[in-house]
Amino acid sequence: MSDATVFIVDDDQAVARSLRWLIETVRLKVETFASAQAFLDSYDETKPGCLVLDVRMPGMSGLELQERLAARRDYHLPIIFITGHGDVQMAVRAVQAGAYDFVEKPFNDQDLLDRIQRAIAHDAGQRNKEEQRSQLKALFASLTPREREVLDLVVEGMSNKAIANTLGLSAKTVEVHRAKVMEKMHARSISDLVKLAMQNPSVTS
Amino acid sequence: MESDVMWLGLIALGGGLAAALIGLAYLLLRLREAEQRVRDREADHQGVLDRLQENEYRLRTIIESEPECVKLQAADGTVLEINPAGLRLVDAERAEDIIGRKIYEVVAPEYKAIYRENMRRVFAGEAAVYEFKSITLRGRTRWMETHAVPLRDARGEVYALLGITRDITEHKWAEEQGRRHQTELARVARLSTMGEMATGLAHELNQPLAAIANFARGCIRRLRSGDMAPADMIEPLEEVCEQAERAGEIMRHVRDFVRKSEPRMTAVDINQVVRGVVKFTEHEARQHETIVTLQLAPQQPRVWADSIMVEQVICNLVRNAMEAMAERHSLRREIVIRTVPHGEDTVEIEVVDTGPGIDETVIDQVFDQFFTTKTEGVGMGLSISRSIVESHGGSIRAESRTGGATFRFTLQAIPASLRKDERRYSFHS
Repeated sequence: MSDATVFIVDDDQAVARSLRWLIETVRLKVETFASAQAFLDSYDETKPGCLVLDVRMPGMSGLELQERLAARRDYHLPIIFITGHGDVQMAVRAVQAGAYDFVEKPFNDQDLLDRIQRAIAHDAGQRNKEEQRSQLKALFASLTPREREVLDLVVEGMSNKAIANTLGLSAKTVEVHRAKVMEKMHARSISDLVKLAMQNPSVTS
Repeated sequence: MESDVMWLGLIALGGGLAAALIGLAYLLLRLREAEQRVRDREADHQGVLDRLQENEYRLRTIIESEPECVKLQAADGTVLEINPAGLRLVDAERAEDIIGRKIYEVVAPEYKAIYRENMRRVFAGEAAVYEFKSITLRGRTRWMETHAVPLRDARGEVYALLGITRDITEHKWAEEQGRRHQTELARVARLSTMGEMATGLAHELNQPLAAIANFARGCIRRLRSGDMAPADMIEPLEEVCEQAERAGEIMRHVRDFVRKSEPRMTAVDINQVVRGVVKFTEHEARQHETIVTLQLAPQQPRVWADSIMVEQVICNLVRNAMEAMAERHSLRREIVIRTVPHGEDTVEIEVVDTGPGIDETVIDQVFDQFFTTKTEGVGMGLSISRSIVESHGGSIRAESRTGGATFRFTLQAIPASLRKDERRYSFHS
């Protein structure tokens, strides 16, 4: 979380500079951009943090930037919209379209900083889950087709004997496959294995 | 013998006498004839004279009973004749109060030049219609309108001005009321424009305020946690000052904009006014995703104008263009504002957009009151713009071309030769 960056996109440079000055007090890295396009041009998906966006901007609006990010990938940085007076409708639309949060100008500094911290924590959590999911995917990918079959039946709660009958194998062979699956999936017990398998929608379906 | 001679003599004498008598009788007869002819002619003459007198009497009756002022004036302005209505118009009790005196005695000083010029035209043989302000013999102010024609003598030379004058004070007053109403409308429109802009303005003010708060709180946080040297505060505090000035500038502009005032004519740098408008509509341009480009002629004469009013005209045109382009979802949204000097005495301001243009069938109506194509428009903007431009002695027109509309209006420039004598120009204001 310490390497999180707050990305600020605001066409008003004075406001962008002032936000940087404020956010840096909580020892967060800050990068400012004068337009949505400038941000998109240098956007690196792997950098954690959050995005602070002015809802009204010339050229590409904040809402449009949000759409572009969503179109690129399932997951993107959480977005906190800054709205002006009377822009609540826009804020509602932004949240409906998946924005993480919004603050209305004039805002309380602590409030904004808290929301930023929450967004960064949310981002870290999401990235963590994403990480686990891809690790799990890699583990499943390492199984042979036969091992996958054995795993599926284990998860269904079949005994070794029943699995052997179903697959037309000897009980001994099923035993070997099962041990191999446990080892590859880093599972210490059957219940561990079942939990892992449940996390992978491609297996349970 | 002697008696014969005597008889002869007598006879001759008698004959001579008779002849003389006959001759005399003849002469008497002729004389009487001549007398009769003279008498006849005199009778004829008398008939003509009577008819003339009758005619004159009739004319005089018509003129005297005429409800409008009818008067004859000499070239130098001396009143030769005037009817009772005319006497009443100038508050004269008797004809002598005005007849034989100069008409200029009842013409307001600032209209004497105009009056003289019209007199000159009539004595040069033209007909003329002119309005002027009159100060009557009792010191009352009246507005008059005179229709004047030259009167010619037998040789065709103009010897007098025949003028029919009527009192148009009430009409003038109504006109003045109308103008005041229009000024008031302009103010109301400015205020309602303000209403429309309130959201934009709030946003505009929020920007510097938000920045100020952020800089200040950033300082407080650093001071509280003790990781800030006093010298590090200079930069953020300078930012705070700058943003406070920015907010003040916005407020000043708003005040100027809503202020109710008579036109204040000064020598105005039109380019500066255009830049002001761009600054003021910056937020709306952003909102409507419109690019505003300026093509300002360098080194052009100043114009004689009320800068706030002219600013309002340009504002209206720019705002209309933005809204037209946004409402029809134009892909290219650009506005070019151009200033073009025409010779020494005119400056033209053009607002060109890339919007839908104006329909041929309505292009002549766009300046009419309550004409609008906007879903929420009231149709005052262009109408007020036109009255402002015309009150400045300029003209405004709209053109449509493929790919957009162009509005252009002119203002009177101050020619270099007159720049030191701007008061002369107040006449046009």
